[in-house]
Amino acid sequence: MKRYWRCFVCNDIHYGLKPPEVCPTCKVKNAYVEVTSEEAKTIASLSTVEFTEADFFEAIMRFTEGNEFQVNPDRERVRMLLDGITNNERNHGLKYCPCRLATKDFEEDLHIVCPCNFVIHETYKGVPDGECWCGLFVRRK
Amino acid sequence: MANLLMFHGRECPHCKKMMPLVEKLEKETGVFFDKREVWHDEKNADLMRSYREALAPKCGNQLRVPTFFNHDTKDAICGEVEYQKLKDWVLKQ
Repeated sequence: MKRYWRCFVCNDIHYGLKPPEVCPTCKVKNAYVEVTSEEAKTIASLSTVEFTEADFFEAIMRFTEGNEFQVNPDRERVRMLLDGITNNERNHGLKYCPCRLATKDFEEDLHIVCPCNFVIHETYKGVPDGECWCGLFVRRK
Repeated sequence: MANLLMFHGRECPHCKKMMPLVEKLEKETGVFFDKREVWHDEKNADLMRSYREALAPKCGNQLRVPTFFNHDTKDAICGEVEYQKLKDWVLKQ
């Protein structure tokens, strides 16, 4: 089961089976110590950086750089999807895909948080013009 | 409740594209789809979830929109489909 880890130098929080060997923020080796989920949540809540719909768009643009997929060039479609994703985070707590429905099983619903792991889905894997279910991400030509 | 349902999302581009096709099909065949928006109406969402056993196997083992569902036969088709495919599905019901 995944656990929480905290960098003892800069308080970076990591959630995973094992901590990183080198802290990606302060570059110190062997810096992580396991902490409780409560401690991790408290530290994570310290960030008050505003993250708007435009910021999310920039984030997914950076995310796709160097990948075999890109954000859909159809910006009207992207705008509609970002509206839905933003509304879902506001109304339902996470950036759920507007083209699927959360089941109310939290762990299962993590699979439909955008960006989801669409590269394994039948709409993308092995499909020349593959895209994620909602079409926010498409295979790069 | 009508026997044919369409589950859709307000900000789902597939749903937006399918809506005029559904309306055309309704006019052409006389069928009626009970259209249920699922992200802004929790009752509709719960209704869709209640059919999960029938819907998920037809939709990549997930609840996806748009989904067209026959309440009586429990048959479903999901996603952005061609008009003729949707019509064939309706006429088969």
